[in-house]
Amino acid sequence: MFYNNVHTRIRYIFLVVILVLVIAIARVFYIQVFSYKKLNTLAESLWSRKLPISADRGKIVDRRGRVLADNITTTSLIVIPNQIENKEDAAKKLSEILGSGYNDMLKHVSKKTSIERVHPEGRRLSYEVAEKIDALKIDGVYLVKESKRYYPYDTVLSHVLGYVGIDNQGLSGLELYYDDYLTGEDGSIKYFSDGKGHKLELAEIYEAPTSGVTLQLTIDLDLQLAVENELDNAVAKYDPDSVIAIAMNPKNGEVLAMASRPNFDSNNYQNYTTEVINRNLPIWMTFEPGSTMKISTYTAAINEGLINIFEDRFTDSGAITVDGATLHCWKHGGHGNQTYLEVIENSCNPGFVNLGLMLQKEKLMSYIKKFGFGTKTGIDLNGEGNGILFSLDKMGNVELATTAFGQGISVTPIQQVQAVSAIINGGTLYSPFLVKNFLEPETNTIVKSVTSENKGTVIKKETSDLVRYALESVVAKGSGHNAYIENYRIGGKTGTAQTVENGIYSSSKYILSFIGFMPADDPEIVVYVAVQNAKGVVQYGGTVAAPIARNIFLSAIDILDIEPSTEGIPKEYTWLDQKYVTVPDVVGLSVNEAKKILKGFNIEYSGEGDTVIYMSPKAGMYAKENGTVVLMLG
Amino acid sequence: MPKKDDKWLLIIVIITAIFGIVMIYSASFIWADYKFNDPFKFVKAQSAFFIMSLLLVFILRKINPKIYYEKANLILLICFILLVLVLIPGLGKIRNGSRSWFGIGGFGIQPSEFAKIGLIIYVSKYLANNNRIITDIKKGVFPILLVIGVFFLLIMLEPDFGTAMVIVITLVSILFISGVKLSFFIKIGLLGLLGIVGLIVVAPYRMLRIVSFLNPWVDPLGSGYQIIQSLYAIGPGGLLGQGFLKSRQKQFYLPEPQTDFIFSIISEEFGFLGILIVTAFFAFIFYKIVKISLTSDNLFYKYLSFGLGFGIIIQALLNICVVIGVIPVTGVTLPFFSYGGSSLLVSMISIGIILSISNKQK
Repeated sequence: MFYNNVHTRIRYIFLVVILVLVIAIARVFYIQVFSYKKLNTLAESLWSRKLPISADRGKIVDRRGRVLADNITTTSLIVIPNQIENKEDAAKKLSEILGSGYNDMLKHVSKKTSIERVHPEGRRLSYEVAEKIDALKIDGVYLVKESKRYYPYDTVLSHVLGYVGIDNQGLSGLELYYDDYLTGEDGSIKYFSDGKGHKLELAEIYEAPTSGVTLQLTIDLDLQLAVENELDNAVAKYDPDSVIAIAMNPKNGEVLAMASRPNFDSNNYQNYTTEVINRNLPIWMTFEPGSTMKISTYTAAINEGLINIFEDRFTDSGAITVDGATLHCWKHGGHGNQTYLEVIENSCNPGFVNLGLMLQKEKLMSYIKKFGFGTKTGIDLNGEGNGILFSLDKMGNVELATTAFGQGISVTPIQQVQAVSAIINGGTLYSPFLVKNFLEPETNTIVKSVTSENKGTVIKKETSDLVRYALESVVAKGSGHNAYIENYRIGGKTGTAQTVENGIYSSSKYILSFIGFMPADDPEIVVYVAVQNAKGVVQYGGTVAAPIARNIFLSAIDILDIEPSTEGIPKEYTWLDQKYVTVPDVVGLSVNEAKKILKGFNIEYSGEGDTVIYMSPKAGMYAKENGTVVLMLG
Repeated sequence: MPKKDDKWLLIIVIITAIFGIVMIYSASFIWADYKFNDPFKFVKAQSAFFIMSLLLVFILRKINPKIYYEKANLILLICFILLVLVLIPGLGKIRNGSRSWFGIGGFGIQPSEFAKIGLIIYVSKYLANNNRIITDIKKGVFPILLVIGVFFLLIMLEPDFGTAMVIVITLVSILFISGVKLSFFIKIGLLGLLGIVGLIVVAPYRMLRIVSFLNPWVDPLGSGYQIIQSLYAIGPGGLLGQGFLKSRQKQFYLPEPQTDFIFSIISEEFGFLGILIVTAFFAFIFYKIVKISLTSDNLFYKYLSFGLGFGIIIQALLNICVVIGVIPVTGVTLPFFSYGGSSLLVSMISIGIILSISNKQK
């Protein structure tokens, strides 16, 4: 045919056209099906603007659920410049209400951004200011909810809790350590806008914020408040450079209370120096422990079977010479001939030097390290100190001797609490810790529980029993008598360490300390108190730190519900002490019989009758000599 | 009486154009309201052109197409004069950076669009007359290439690269079907390729420009902007689309959505299904035209009907390929859909002429 050639070419072109159309369709299919997700997400982010809703930070509560760190809701101003028609007018009105500069505000409302946070003048607005802004009803001016951290107890537990910055970010303490848990996930109100930024009449999408996890602490607020109160009293009384107190459950490492002075108000941390807010003394400060360290030496010697504390004896002449160096006992003239039980009761330095020499440096240091000194305890806080020990190869007999009674090494308070807890709880070393549970913020159900970290058995149980007895004896009969509480069994040890100033011992500045536990037969609480540079008082741990610890123990009796006991070691009295005697049993006897038996007591009666049906204090308890006994008659 | 084939071609074209007007409303009402305070501004203008062009179609299909053969030279001369006049500042008006149209009252006329028809008529006539020497490149092809080159240059002076491209490709395709040797097209293709390579070697940044359509995210606020916005319309459309009037990209994201990128809005609102329908319309229209070309018994009518049909379909293909990011942005509108009076008028005139050729075969 004449047109054959032309027709063939027309058909070719037709086929090519159809082919291109098919390719185009395939490409559209690819875009709409395979790239759908990616493009839709990208486009969505182009179309939508998000008004942020800040999440509540997780609360921090004490072991009984009382809130220590809370959130209060505040309002913040944000503007969407594209939606503000009259920028000058908006800037004028807003700056008037906020009392800020007109030009600054004009910059905010004219900024080329989708959402502008008016910072800082528009943050954390009071209710009145927020009301006024709301009443303006300007398009593009929004008030969003922001939550602000609030510490209802201000200064209480401040170093442990820490504080947060303006954007609710944890900056110190638990707030920093657990920031990831406490920080929630911000939500938003998503709305759609056109290419010019105007809001479109489409449904807004609300994405709820997720609150942070609630931290439940091992801290007991009641005990913490009692401890804080004691520290305040100590500050008032002695004007010290610093005071430290820790209370811990020795059976699992749960820290029950932890405080120090100087402290700060977590709500207004800006008002304090960085030294004050950053140094959590109970875990940060390292110093020579002094005599409280003798507990470790004593325990090591018993555990090694080197001494029988009741039978083996040591004669203290007031000084001991080691490698040519003379080390004096704190008591001029010495304590004379004593059993090793009396050596610790008297806190006799030469006696401990002797124990150190018996143990040798390898043994002593291995125990000290086993008790956790020289390394961080692993408590869940930042800024813990390591302490410094002598290294074995540089250690002569003099260093061995001073280490044995707690000089020449430096340790942190929390290390001492950890070590003594292990020594008296039967021999298990636990890491101290502060967070017990992570709670779901709404329901308070436990999301995750923290179990105490068992770092191993460091001594025999028998050793632990003996040391407990010896330390109870120290409180009942020895240097720790100021911590004694009638009808309760308390063990403990005082410490008096000179502080080092510019590399030499200060002759006037001391850290006075006491570490004790209760009840001595089955300890539920270990308390450590240290007072640095107390003024106007005898520089002796027994006179300053032990009474503070005693008051904390008194509070702990009620708070921890500790039962009284009559099986403790009776107190040995000095002429200064008020004497206590056991109350004899008179229940069931006649009034006259009772009178005879209770001779020396001041008797008061209640009720009517001839027979004693109840008495207070109960039989077997200690009461002050010439004290009052109330008899109920019936 | 028109044949059955013609009736369907006319019906589908009318349906397509009406669908186009509906889509212009959807795509433009926000933009029109913002710019002219009249959401119907573009729809009204386009509807007027549509009615006008529909009348033209009914007139043209009754006119004997022989007249185009006879008046081909005159038509081309008028086109040439108009193309020269439009370049004169004051007479020609600038739109989108090119001095390409005359304003007559509220309406605008683009001479380059009409030159397309004029050239197709002229080239068809030339090829029909010189059928015997068409295998001789020098004698047969060069003279007509010269004419095409002159018009190409005139249009590039505006400059309107898109229309120039459409015209050149259309005319080359007529050359192709007329029997010009395949080797000629291969040579031209190689020459063009060499030219492009040369341009890139001289200025390597052009490479980036050329490939930027492949990955528009390289320059999201510059050369990639339109493609990205187009993809943001097409992608979220999915299989069934967001629904009529519910496009988001037309809300000031895609600039002037009623013109070059109306295809994106269609795919956003009607999804893959809508695209299938639109492409099916175009495929059907082209199929009908090809059939008319194949059945006509006159070389001039064959070339003319094919050329006019190809002029429409190549413009559609170029537009769609730009919108979906397959080729770089060229500035070509989608026939029957994009807002623009001249474009619609020229497409409808083409259909009218094709229908008259079809009638002639009876």
